[in-house]
Amino acid sequence: MIQPLDALRAIAQHRDDAIVVPTMTTVEPWHELSPSALNVSCIGFMGGASSLGLGLALARPERKVLVLDGDGSLCMQLGTLATIAGAAPPNLYHFVFKNGVYQVSGGQPIPAADRIDFALMARGAGYPTVYSFDDLEELRMRLPAVLAARGPVFIQLVTEPIPNPPEGGVINASFAAEAEAARAALLGPLGKV
Amino acid sequence: MPQTPPQSVPAELLVEALRSCGVTVAVTVPDTHQRTFLARLAADPGIRLLTCSTEDEACALAAGLWIGGEQPVLVIQHAGLYASVNTLRGVAIDGRVPTFYLIGLLSREPDRPPRASARSMVRYCEPLLDVFGIPHALIDGPDDVPEIPRLFRLSRERRGPTAALIGMPTC
Repeated sequence: MIQPLDALRAIAQHRDDAIVVPTMTTVEPWHELSPSALNVSCIGFMGGASSLGLGLALARPERKVLVLDGDGSLCMQLGTLATIAGAAPPNLYHFVFKNGVYQVSGGQPIPAADRIDFALMARGAGYPTVYSFDDLEELRMRLPAVLAARGPVFIQLVTEPIPNPPEGGVINASFAAEAEAARAALLGPLGKV
Repeated sequence: MPQTPPQSVPAELLVEALRSCGVTVAVTVPDTHQRTFLARLAADPGIRLLTCSTEDEACALAAGLWIGGEQPVLVIQHAGLYASVNTLRGVAIDGRVPTFYLIGLLSREPDRPPRASARSMVRYCEPLLDVFGIPHALIDGPDDVPEIPRLFRLSRERRGPTAALIGMPTC
């Protein structure tokens, strides 16, 4: 099993100029590890990270978009797997941190936590390339190839819960501010309207 | 009873209205009420049509498109609005993402205004939009189509959601 912060560090090393969409417990550590105007956190609409990332990927085909999804979040909008597979953006990389719990709300297990397989679901939905990693060294070794593959790519990361989750479930970030900053970074001053 | 009976709006008029706004992408969960409009959009070379599994997805997807520089519109049904109000709140209201909806009032009776409908899914739509402070207008015929570019622009000016309600099935 992978420690989530180690997975985030590995991903950050290969980020390059990608747009990144973290959500829930990955938001704060990701901002510390890889601060950027191109971080667009999905906060306030749990389950929306992959759809937000899909929109960004379609709008900015010249950039990679990395979604750092949660298993509880993905369960909220599983249909997104079919939507992404149908739209087939070649620049979208959909990571799912599978820790088996709703960590922010107190660590309750997600449905079928002991048997659910998101990689299998992604494959069934039509993602052309799917990975599942439960070993950090293998993830580190294969990540360059994963991010060189044509998207959409789905990457299930079997992890421990993140240490020190946001106290009281309050995540210190603003979707509105990050959306504004990312749009300005991507489009320049003319993008303000 | 309305003074003028509501009329269907030709799909071509709706597409022209979106073109005049500079819309580049229509994000939809298919709506029976707007099926001719959706078919027309699917054949349009200038506006990409993206179909989602749910309206929650459609709202977040449209936000990503807008952040990236596209000009999206959402084409959904009233039931989809009800299903996705939390995402609408988080993305378009708290997130201040301009979000323009075309919402089909499936099963709306032509002999009465939507608020007086016997069908709850029709009757609750405008009050729900009012609760969230979302500007909206009823498109009850070709004469109302200019409301579409007005509301589209308003969503950009307000940095939030607006909605045009399609009163009768498109033709």
